Amino acid sequence: MRDYVIRRVLGMIPLILIVMIVAFAIFSLVPNPFAALIENPRIKKADIERLIKAWGFDLPWYLRFFKWFSGVIKGDWGPSLLYPGSSARDVIARALPVTIRVMGIEFLLSLLIALPIGIISAVKQYSVTDYVVTVFSFLGMSMPTFWFGLMMMMLFSVFLKRPSGAPLLPAGGIMTPGLEEAPFWTRFVDQLQYLVMPVLVLAFSSVGSWTRYMRSSMLEVVRQDYIRTARAKGVPERLVINKHALRNALIPIVTLVALSVPGIVGGASITEKIFNIPGMGSLIIAAETKSDYPTAMVGLMLTSVLVIVFNLIADIVYAWVDPRIKYS
Amino acid sequence: MDNREVLVDVKNLRTFFYTEDGVVPAVDGLDLTIHRGEIVGLVGESGCGKSVTALSIMRLIPNPPGKIISGEIIFHGENLLKKSEEEMRLIRGDKISMIFQEPMTSLNPVFTVGDQISEAITLHQKTDEAEARKRTVEMLHLVGIPEPERRYRQYPHELSGGMRQRVMIAMALSSNPDLLISDEATTALDVTIQAQILDLMRGLQKKLGMAILIITHNLAVVAEMAETIAIAYAGKIVENASAREIFKSPRHPYTYGLLQSIPKFAERRTNEPLPAIEGMVPSPYHMPNGCRFNPRCPFATEKCRAEEPELVELTPGHLVRCFHPIEP
Repeated sequence: MRDYVIRRVLGMIPLILIVMIVAFAIFSLVPNPFAALIENPRIKKADIERLIKAWGFDLPWYLRFFKWFSGVIKGDWGPSLLYPGSSARDVIARALPVTIRVMGIEFLLSLLIALPIGIISAVKQYSVTDYVVTVFSFLGMSMPTFWFGLMMMMLFSVFLKRPSGAPLLPAGGIMTPGLEEAPFWTRFVDQLQYLVMPVLVLAFSSVGSWTRYMRSSMLEVVRQDYIRTARAKGVPERLVINKHALRNALIPIVTLVALSVPGIVGGASITEKIFNIPGMGSLIIAAETKSDYPTAMVGLMLTSVLVIVFNLIADIVYAWVDPRIKYS
Repeated sequence: MDNREVLVDVKNLRTFFYTEDGVVPAVDGLDLTIHRGEIVGLVGESGCGKSVTALSIMRLIPNPPGKIISGEIIFHGENLLKKSEEEMRLIRGDKISMIFQEPMTSLNPVFTVGDQISEAITLHQKTDEAEARKRTVEMLHLVGIPEPERRYRQYPHELSGGMRQRVMIAMALSSNPDLLISDEATTALDVTIQAQILDLMRGLQKKLGMAILIITHNLAVVAEMAETIAIAYAGKIVENASAREIFKSPRHPYTYGLLQSIPKFAERRTNEPLPAIEGMVPSPYHMPNGCRFNPRCPFATEKCRAEEPELVELTPGHLVRCFHPIEP
């Protein structure tokens, strides 16, 4: 097992390099952002050429890659083109906590809700409970987040008001301006209000799919012979489900959960746009379309590394929960 | 033989399955008596209701779609069909144990075999973990598993089919049951292993004194093991007698046909085909009127097509359900 992990970790290095080169090559297809400045009569041609040279847009993409990569090795991912004055790394570092907070809470909340519901739904297959769960699961999975988000906003920010006349929940943003220096609990309560709607919107759709995964995994297990064996030896029904069945049904779920963790960092661009959250999703899209390749590359490499690392973690966890899996 | 104490008395058991295509009377008026310490063989073709009888005794019929409609299963003087689920749970694996056809899938893949056996022990006996562990090792030793201490820590996938069936037997016998139900327990094993497992069961029966209900489609298995044989056809018992009687002088045409269709190596020098029972098992959705065997019976008369025969005692201890029993 230890050798296997070491081998996999070593294998990651070339993989990450390849991802880096391919991603960089793809970003170079976005047109040179400075070329359009030529049409602006107030900017001198010499200045434009200086900018192009400084950013390496006068070079073919592979030479620009080496220029950029020599900085990366030293830990310098380059300046952000989108946010002049900030380094690409700082731009990402500002968006990352915002995204992790929304997505992380959403991720944990939906698992906490979906897994028990999925188990109940499977154990009571074809009951009223199961049908209700199934309908809501598909509703959640098929509801467009932008529409659901706007409906939530109508409800909580337009129709429902506090006695003071202010909306019940803030329609967008991440915190009330002016509270930056407030005591911890005041800030905590304030920011929590901003989280409610985006978390609910995102969780509604992922609860749906997690419930379906858990339900089908559980259904697969409860009809196995060893469940009948457990009943035949007098195991109480509660333990038949929570011990004998669940341990087996969780094997594929645990892997899926591990593989989904990198998604927390990727953000959810549409929901972020609707609720005006300065998170990773919208930042990366802006960086990609505006040719801010240093920022886009930081974000992309962060996600890639997490995907690769969590693939390994998923494999390790898989071997840990399923005694039949052995790596050698 | 009848002066022995009756352990299980199944009277007029009816277990039906309600499917989308109609009602399947899997067991339809089945009677069966098992005495204390007796080995009874329940023989029949696929779909004759053998396994459903076993699961009915255990009260493990999956509901829906299955349901025990009527009848009595008297065990130790009490009707099992009147017991609550909790009372039944305490009997399962303690007083009545069951082993199944598929040793490869009957053990839970994520728990060690030792844990699975000691779970059965702690469920029914007031023992601490160390005591249960000791008893488990003893049981593994008793069923002929070499190196029981090491096997205790192994997972089912590390054991062969024969070893797994021994583990199942150890688990089933760990609480000294009064009745062991073996549902085709040797069918999936190859012939040499099959013989070993049958030997083991016979040896353990002598040592521990429990009654065994052997369910099989293989007459050779019961010929070796059983004292009493019940032949089932289309959800009913058609003949019930001592093993000697059944093989020496079968009275029901179906039993006769079954015995005729066993290839006899020594007698067969000619090229004539093996005798077989004409026709097919009736569809469970369309049971024939009258005697259920009449469409395939060479001796069938108008009476057989109109009326259903009762199970009658022709000679002491020899019960036959036929209007025209074969004369010995």
